[in-house]
Amino acid sequence: MRLGMTHMGNIDVAVKAIASKLGIDLVMTLATSQRTLDLGVKYSPETACFPFKLQLGNMIEALELGADTLVMPGDLGPCRMGYYHKVLEQILRELGYKFQMVTQTRGIMHMVKYLTNGASLGKVIAGFRFGLAKLKTLEELEGVVHKIRAVERDKGEANRIYREGIKAIDNAPDYRAIRQAKREYLQRLMSLPAITSPAPLKVGITGEFFVVIDPFTNMDIEIELGKLGVEVRCHISISEWVRLNPFVYVLGLREKDKSHKAAMPYLSHHVGGDGWQSVGERILHAGDWDGIVHLEPFGCLPEIMARNIMPSIKEGPPVLNIIYDEHTGKAGMITRLEAFVDMLHRKKRRQEAVCV
Amino acid sequence: MIKIGIPRALLYYQYYPMWKTFFEELGAEVVVSPPTTQTVLSEGSSRVVAETCLPTKVFLGHVLSLVKKCDYIFIPAIRSVKSKTYNCSKFLGLPDMTRAVIPELPSILDIDIDVNKGKHVLYQAIYKLGRHFTWNPFRVRRASIAAWQANLNYQQLMCNHSLTPPQAIERILDTPGVEPKTHPDYPIPTQATIAIIGHPYLLYDEHINYRLIHRLKQAQNKVLTPEMLTTEELESATARLVGRAKWTCEEEVVGAGGHYLRSGTDGVIGITAFGCGPDSLMMDIVQRQARTMTTPFMSLTLDEHTAEAGIVTRLEAFLDMIYRKKRKRICV
Repeated sequence: MRLGMTHMGNIDVAVKAIASKLGIDLVMTLATSQRTLDLGVKYSPETACFPFKLQLGNMIEALELGADTLVMPGDLGPCRMGYYHKVLEQILRELGYKFQMVTQTRGIMHMVKYLTNGASLGKVIAGFRFGLAKLKTLEELEGVVHKIRAVERDKGEANRIYREGIKAIDNAPDYRAIRQAKREYLQRLMSLPAITSPAPLKVGITGEFFVVIDPFTNMDIEIELGKLGVEVRCHISISEWVRLNPFVYVLGLREKDKSHKAAMPYLSHHVGGDGWQSVGERILHAGDWDGIVHLEPFGCLPEIMARNIMPSIKEGPPVLNIIYDEHTGKAGMITRLEAFVDMLHRKKRRQEAVCV
Repeated sequence: MIKIGIPRALLYYQYYPMWKTFFEELGAEVVVSPPTTQTVLSEGSSRVVAETCLPTKVFLGHVLSLVKKCDYIFIPAIRSVKSKTYNCSKFLGLPDMTRAVIPELPSILDIDIDVNKGKHVLYQAIYKLGRHFTWNPFRVRRASIAAWQANLNYQQLMCNHSLTPPQAIERILDTPGVEPKTHPDYPIPTQATIAIIGHPYLLYDEHINYRLIHRLKQAQNKVLTPEMLTTEELESATARLVGRAKWTCEEEVVGAGGHYLRSGTDGVIGITAFGCGPDSLMMDIVQRQARTMTTPFMSLTLDEHTAEAGIVTRLEAFLDMIYRKKRKRICV
């Protein structure tokens, strides 16, 4: 069995770590590129959403390199994603590839057992813990980078260090090496020369999970915001998605649960995907964020619901909505971001003038 | 008497007889919004973001046309009507979204239908809805049993007599004034058998699909729709194509498509709304199936910019192709 990898943000680091611990033969594909996108767009249904097209492109590239097993989660609530695996499988079979599509529709344990060749549960959990540890460290590092990017004196330095950090953590063979890398890179980031005044704007990023997580899809929006001197806050992360600690779920400690609770007066139920969370974050962070950038792939059902409901919320920071598909141009996004940040600056200055 | 408004859109075509019976048994009066017009559509579109799908815009237009005509508007949130299937996001958040985009709305009667949560929760939801009219749980029970019976009769009628939902509603309720006026008798179908698949709110809203069924019938074609199939036929066809259904509305697209493609119809027309999430993938599966079966298949995408001439041209071309194919077969 050769498992084909699909990309989404930093998830490849975790997948690689888990695969190496459990002895899974992983086919390493290159990061998502324009070619991936072109392949995906070529064979996808026209109005399928953007993540579908990227997944298809990724899978084709993996199969070209000799993968024979693909993983796609199925039946994940009322979002199109739960239906992906059926259509992806048909498209790829029609293209003449021979492979096995693994989904968790027959139970997650069944899938894990199949992929790991029946490894013991202890080994599987240990593998997952190691992968998650890497992911968590990366996310912590990312959180710091979000802050540093806004204030660093030499633009681009923080980014360079962060990229080195990803490589170092990716290569770390054990927990100790991860901790060491984390310490080293945090220290390097902290010691970058910074501009301290005026205090940077805080802009939250929310929206559809895949677009927020994946820098190829969202065209490095975090870096672009950093260049504009904006501190990015983002509570959507892969490690929050998969928590091994059951108490977190029971007590509702995740950002997701908090934002769902906040959204209650406006949207009382799950509408699939991350629509509920997007509505909630606007209410939850009315005080501490200066603005929100709401990202979604074109035609995303839950986010369209969120976008219809958001304007009816009385309080809450201004929202800029950016929709991504294969025709989105980076220059257009940057122009809109600049205009949005200008507006936020003006609003903040006016507020400060009133206070004084 | 309390007046309940029911918008003539979305799930109206599937459940109207049931809802009407339920509310009338509880002593309320039911008001249905008039058939879709351009005004209804443009008023609905003006309230929501552009990417919202056409049926939702039509629905909001109907809600707006009911605003001052009733005390309550009935907007159910149907989450799931079969275990482990899901409905589209638009249906899940329908009451919340309507409240958010139409602030001048009278009170909304909403009910959460989710069979995944068990019978008890379902009964409680129905009772909670009935509480707006009576405190007596037995009366609510009686009304819901009558409503369910009405729903079964309605489905039976469509299936046995090959009727479309508007025809069946007309026959059950015997109120021709409320329904769009019936067309004169059609010529005897001699040309071809065409199946139309898609959601009822696209197939039977004559304004948004430019009287597609009427046009087909007038051209002497026999028209088949998903409602004319039994549940078993739909389920087995769905199982053959994709396995277990994931969407509540999957059978009327994949099931009906799968069945009609194999059952020897001369052509299948798939109707989708632009930007419909479930359809974007489901119609693709039907299209792929059509390619392997070599049954002619045409997919029509509707939105508020769809022009009548465009639909007519494509329909004519499709029918011409089918007739030519049939003639050739006869010659051979």
